[in-house]
Amino acid sequence: MKHSRNALSAIFILFLIFSSGCSDSGNEPAAEAAKQGQAREIIYASSKDINDMNPHLYSGSMPAQGMIYESLVEKTEDGIKPLLAESWDISEDGMSYTFHLRHGVTFHDGSPFNAEAVKVNIDAVQANAERHAWIKLSTKIKEVRATDEYTVQLLLDEPYYPTLLELSMTRPYVFLSPKDFINGQTKDGVAGYDGTGPYRLADQKPEQYAVFEANESYWGGAPQVKRITAKVLPSGETTLLALQKGEVNFIFTDDRGADGVDVEAMQSLVDSGRYQLLRSKPMNTKMIAANSSSTGPVHERAVRLALWHAVDRETIAGQILHGAESPADSLFSGNVEYADIPLAKRGYDLKHAAELLEDAGWKLENGGETRVKNGRQLALKLYYDAASSSQKTEAELIQSAAKTIGMKLELIGEQSSSVAARRASGDYDLLFNQTWGLAYDPQSTVSAFTAESSYAHTTGGIEGVEELYAKIGQVTGTRDEEKRKALYKEILTTVHDEAVFIPITHGSMAVLAPNDLEGVAFKQTQFELPFELMHFK
Amino acid sequence: MIRYAARRLLTAVLLLLVISFLAFLLQQLAPVDPAEAVLHAQGVPQVTSELIAQKKAELGLDRPLLRQYASWLASSVQLDFGLSYVTGKPVWSLLGPAFMHTLQLTAVSAAAIILLSVALGVYCALREDAWPDRATRGAAFLLTAMPPYWLAAWLVWLFSVKLDLLPTSGMDSAASFVLPTAVLAVGYAGVYFRVIRSSMIAGRNEDYVLYGRANGLTERAITRRVLANSLQVAVPMFGMAVPILLGSTVVVENVFAWPGLGTLSVKAILGRDYPVIQAFVLLLASSFVVFNAVSEVLSGLLNPRLRKDL
Repeated sequence: MKHSRNALSAIFILFLIFSSGCSDSGNEPAAEAAKQGQAREIIYASSKDINDMNPHLYSGSMPAQGMIYESLVEKTEDGIKPLLAESWDISEDGMSYTFHLRHGVTFHDGSPFNAEAVKVNIDAVQANAERHAWIKLSTKIKEVRATDEYTVQLLLDEPYYPTLLELSMTRPYVFLSPKDFINGQTKDGVAGYDGTGPYRLADQKPEQYAVFEANESYWGGAPQVKRITAKVLPSGETTLLALQKGEVNFIFTDDRGADGVDVEAMQSLVDSGRYQLLRSKPMNTKMIAANSSSTGPVHERAVRLALWHAVDRETIAGQILHGAESPADSLFSGNVEYADIPLAKRGYDLKHAAELLEDAGWKLENGGETRVKNGRQLALKLYYDAASSSQKTEAELIQSAAKTIGMKLELIGEQSSSVAARRASGDYDLLFNQTWGLAYDPQSTVSAFTAESSYAHTTGGIEGVEELYAKIGQVTGTRDEEKRKALYKEILTTVHDEAVFIPITHGSMAVLAPNDLEGVAFKQTQFELPFELMHFK
Repeated sequence: MIRYAARRLLTAVLLLLVISFLAFLLQQLAPVDPAEAVLHAQGVPQVTSELIAQKKAELGLDRPLLRQYASWLASSVQLDFGLSYVTGKPVWSLLGPAFMHTLQLTAVSAAAIILLSVALGVYCALREDAWPDRATRGAAFLLTAMPPYWLAAWLVWLFSVKLDLLPTSGMDSAASFVLPTAVLAVGYAGVYFRVIRSSMIAGRNEDYVLYGRANGLTERAITRRVLANSLQVAVPMFGMAVPILLGSTVVVENVFAWPGLGTLSVKAILGRDYPVIQAFVLLLASSFVVFNAVSEVLSGLLNPRLRKDL
């Protein structure tokens, strides 16, 4: 059923590509109308509603929250830069951060942004600390003090180097007008969505659209694009048609990392001359997590290494993903902080993969297709997200390559929540996963290596695991940059040598925008876009 | 009549109770712990065992099953279906607007289906096996065989993108109803008009038609009577079309970005938002029961022989 649907969709999209290439003149009235009537605003298609915009919880759309709310500092390619805090001092012992706030900033409701607002916001986040356990800073904050109108002191229980990084994230350490709090808290809902950001939420019709208007009194200068509309379009085919007609004029890789619109279809829109397609540097890595704690064959390093050599990354990136992603040779791309280190490259080499298995005692017996060792078959289960358009195809390619080296892979598609539950319980051999993304890598992904609910089963069965975990414990506490670099190098080399995270591709963020829109750029996160920098020619 | 109605009502209530209990059981049969699923659906990046325990207590999932069911049922009869696990909003505040949006689409589509089925049914029956009849049946066969999303995509391409007559999606104006209604109507009318056609053809060979003709009744008057008799077969079918449509607009809503029950239910299922799923199942089951009863009464009105049973 799903196959026939995919096939029909593919035929339809091919037809659209063909028709847009051959007879674009038929589209001109619509295109013209779009240019005249809607050119000064951005209307982006989103597969889901923006949902609850409470910045201290997690169900809201991150790109939308990124327009409304701001953090104290911002992560850029050149490191941490000021945002709502103009400068900061860190104490010698690394346990006290003093922020000097920007003057004259107001929330969208007119109330002042000051030290007290920072204190009540961080206190509100900490009041729901269990929910924020993933962000380690939430477990380190001891107290927030407003020492004067524009100075805030953040006191920690112990030194924690990613403090500024974690304060720069889209959520939860961003600021909502205290007037929107309910009973002084935000964890049970909020009364409004007034941040300090370049756009304010002007209208929201659930499951239909949300309208953001420029914050004319924005401290960084009013944005030039005055209106941004997020339109809910669940179907990729309709999104493509709406782009052709000009009802929407902007799409970007959504915060689930899935491209709603077919890559070739996007290219056809670019070829029509009305749109431009931009891609960011790598933002995350798609990979297979191998359960080293398992009692099955995947516990053996040789098996994991053989699988690593059986992944044809070039074909996956080039043909399955149509060049939208690039082949990955390591868990983190070289542009990730601390990850630009020399690691052994392991390419697609089925002969070498077979030799590795042979040497490890996995033999083909009596003309059988699957290798056997001590009476046990080399059979593994690979779980993938059934909702992903590409994971199944990738899995099938890997399965057929694995078969040629005598490794039997059983493919099982499940909902993403079931796959996540398996990762936490350890009930898997192999599963598709991805790193947390540029804003969170390497520190959050690496700290998840030890977390029971994340990768504890993936890393738990390797040789020298205690030493690895001790290094992960130390790396966030050290203030010595050289020592931190050395520790990350050792940690990343260990997991690379043990082949517990088998990298596939590096994913990036893609934006399809009108040709006359300038200033389209990316942030150091795949979850936000700097709309305030964009302007029409 | 009263005894019959009372019996029907009792059966309906029992049926709804069974359905509601089965819907409630879904949560228990799911492979993933509901509390854990809720945390994932709420986008919590790292789900710890402490969080799961906390969520279980918060949602009352640590109580015995029957007690959970009893308290849910007691609130449901007052239209209080609790709070959505995912959004934290009252279920009715989500389901109500979605239900109204789908009901609007269903009402317009049902009207289109009835008009189209009757008109085509009569037209084809009067031209049995002539080329217009064959052509209509052939076209209907082709259109009903097309998957709705496929047909929808073509219609949007033609009428929205190429001819620029209608919006591609959304529900901003009356024009927004045209394409989704067309897709829904084609699928159902393509089947229903055949029933009317066959029943009309069979009816035209009845003795009363021969008798009417012998008495000098006009062909128009005869057709009217034959149609009235054929509608006895069609009324229960049309009656059930409404709840069937209510529960089957998923694909059309997805393609046309229609913020209705279909979109809401799929989202609830994927997010394991059980309070929404349970309320949706109950709402749909209730509408089946209600429309079934309405179509039985209408059939009774059309056919005096059935009234005796009532």
